[in-house]
Amino acid sequence: MCLSELQENQKGLIQKINGDSRFISRVVSMGLPPSSPFLVLQNDGRSPILVYSHDTMIAINRKECMQIDVEMA
Amino acid sequence: MRTIALLGQPNSGKSTLFNALTGSHQHVGNWPGKTVERAEGFFTQGEELYRVVDLPGSYGLTANSAEEVVTRTYIEHGYADIVCIIVDASQLERSLYMLADFAGVKSPVMLVLNMMDVAEQKGKKIDVEKIEKILNIPVLGFTASDLDSYPKFFETLNRALEKKAKISSEKIRDIVEREGEKSHVENLKKLEDLIASLKFDNRERFWVASKLLENDSLVRSEVETAVTPEHWKEIKEILDAEGSDGGLLTGEAKYRFVSEVLRDASEGEEKSMKLSRFDKIATHRIWGKIVAFFILVLTLAVSMMIAVPIIASCFGLQHVAEPLVVQMCEKFGWWPSVASFINGVIIGGLSVTVAMMSFVFAILVTFGLMEDTGYLARSSYVFDSWLSRLGLHGKAFMPLFSGLACTGGAVCGTRVLDTRGQRLFAMVLLWSIPCGSKVAVVLFLASVFFGSAAPLFGLVYVAMIFASFWLSSKLFGNKLMPVNERVGMIMELPPYHKPHWKILLKTVARNVWAVFKKAIAVIWFVSLLFWLISYSKDGNVEHSVLYTIGNAIEPFTQIFGMRWQLFISYLGGVFSKEASLGVMSVVFASTNDAFSLVSRNAAGANLGEMMRAVVSIPEALAFIFASMFNIPCVLAMGTTYRETHSLKWMLAIAGYYFAISLGLAFIVYHIALWVL
Repeated sequence: MCLSELQENQKGLIQKINGDSRFISRVVSMGLPPSSPFLVLQNDGRSPILVYSHDTMIAINRKECMQIDVEMA
Repeated sequence: MRTIALLGQPNSGKSTLFNALTGSHQHVGNWPGKTVERAEGFFTQGEELYRVVDLPGSYGLTANSAEEVVTRTYIEHGYADIVCIIVDASQLERSLYMLADFAGVKSPVMLVLNMMDVAEQKGKKIDVEKIEKILNIPVLGFTASDLDSYPKFFETLNRALEKKAKISSEKIRDIVEREGEKSHVENLKKLEDLIASLKFDNRERFWVASKLLENDSLVRSEVETAVTPEHWKEIKEILDAEGSDGGLLTGEAKYRFVSEVLRDASEGEEKSMKLSRFDKIATHRIWGKIVAFFILVLTLAVSMMIAVPIIASCFGLQHVAEPLVVQMCEKFGWWPSVASFINGVIIGGLSVTVAMMSFVFAILVTFGLMEDTGYLARSSYVFDSWLSRLGLHGKAFMPLFSGLACTGGAVCGTRVLDTRGQRLFAMVLLWSIPCGSKVAVVLFLASVFFGSAAPLFGLVYVAMIFASFWLSSKLFGNKLMPVNERVGMIMELPPYHKPHWKILLKTVARNVWAVFKKAIAVIWFVSLLFWLISYSKDGNVEHSVLYTIGNAIEPFTQIFGMRWQLFISYLGGVFSKEASLGVMSVVFASTNDAFSLVSRNAAGANLGEMMRAVVSIPEALAFIFASMFNIPCVLAMGTTYRETHSLKWMLAIAGYYFAISLGLAFIVYHIALWVL
């Protein structure tokens, strides 16, 4: 499943990031490398999704969320 | 002299450290041949002079944007005597990624764990000594905003300069080999073998191979030119097979390295995180925007409150000073032109500049506060979807909106943007956003000629501004913000912090002073120019150079529907919008006042009547539309010059708006002639 399919307050684990190397290096350096646990702070179905991982709150556009595979934890 | 390079992620407190270290001994310019801002400063400790280079912030060392290329190139060439990596102690795991990405660069390094106070408040216990022992480089627990803690910084710095300790990539390699998927690890090893014969100054081979695997463009081209074509073919095969997965392997290993470092050195269970009540509102799709608007309007109101008394006293003093100057000149028997020069150029220019600096000050303070506290990121989050259509980051909303108060101040406010391309583009857009004075002048003119239809011009104006945004993004957008450098919105919302008033106010004061110096130079130059061509002994415009020039070029300006009086009023508008009306009252109403660019009581009472009598409707339309997109004012030119650090860019933006406004005047005039 992709990142935006998780609901608010659900925890997840990053499985795989798809995209070009630029996108991957951005996501990784921001604090979401594969196998990081995270918590969905906000997902209102329209705005970018807010997740919390490695002590950091990160906002990700819904389109970009489609490129991030996760599993529920 | 020793050189210290500051390397850190955004929001790590890097600029606080930079400002506190160097104070007023700073120089901001551009990196040679790059559209990236270069900030460096100096300080002395004991006998030694130090240079501090503030490298553009980035989350890692992979070179994706122009800023990141600058940082990377500087780091990998080892230009600095010491690299000082600054990380946020309250977000240690994430921000130590920079250190992990650095491991393998053979430069002496020290690590600063900044915001220890915040980390403590969050209940984190960090054993600095232990981290130092594990990494074997000097490490400092620090709070950059606490000015009393700097002796400790210098002590660690000296230790680092003496020890020249480096950080190797060995542990990361171990992790890769231990944990990585076999096929990827094999590929990484093969890459290392293929580049074994090459020499990499200042970098370990494993570091280069990892960056190659991450598909880093700088390393790719470096290796491609250095190896034999056969080797490159093999390398390329591996890279193609890896695709973008290579970055995941090394990225994961780097985080594992960080957590191994921290395993025994940091305590404090991550509290179950919840969005704070304020953040729930601040990041809400609708409420968030309302809050941001509210804060901005409040900001503008406060700037007005600061600005209005200063402006009033400036112009009040000007009224006092001017007669004194005239008296003095009479007393000493100087020519009247001297008095006119002192009043018109020196005093007039000074009072306009000082008055407008209050806007610059207010905007820089409020933006600084928003950035310091972390709110700016929230407002960027809610407005990103609007601005990303133009290719801009959501952060641009704040400076663009404040353009409604003062273009010049807002130009300084574009500093909140991260890349120079974004800043330049925001400045281009800002010049078309009308400040209060511009709106007033346009609506005044519209009501003079079109009476109750004037509000219609307001609507057309708004539509035209959005059209100009579109045009600007077509013309400048791709050049300044290459599409392949845009990554969509993946942004950090930093935790809220208390603002550091002392450092903030000091930094703002320094910046305002720097802006003032540039602006006054431009303003004096332009006033001198206007004064020279408009001076006439008897105050009659018809005896000035301006009149002669105006008449000479009238056949040309007529193309745009502007007779000479209108055209020089238009040129007066380059100085300020009020000046545009001031010029009009001189040339149309023949008020015979000394020709003044800065007179605030510009529009004489009968100006409207006089103009209606001579100016035709098509001419009026041409002039109104030309005024809409005229150069905002000389202060906007001055601040743009200062903020772009480039006369070329300032002139390019000015030329662009000249072209738009005259082009528009041309179109409107000829359509009106044809229709009416």
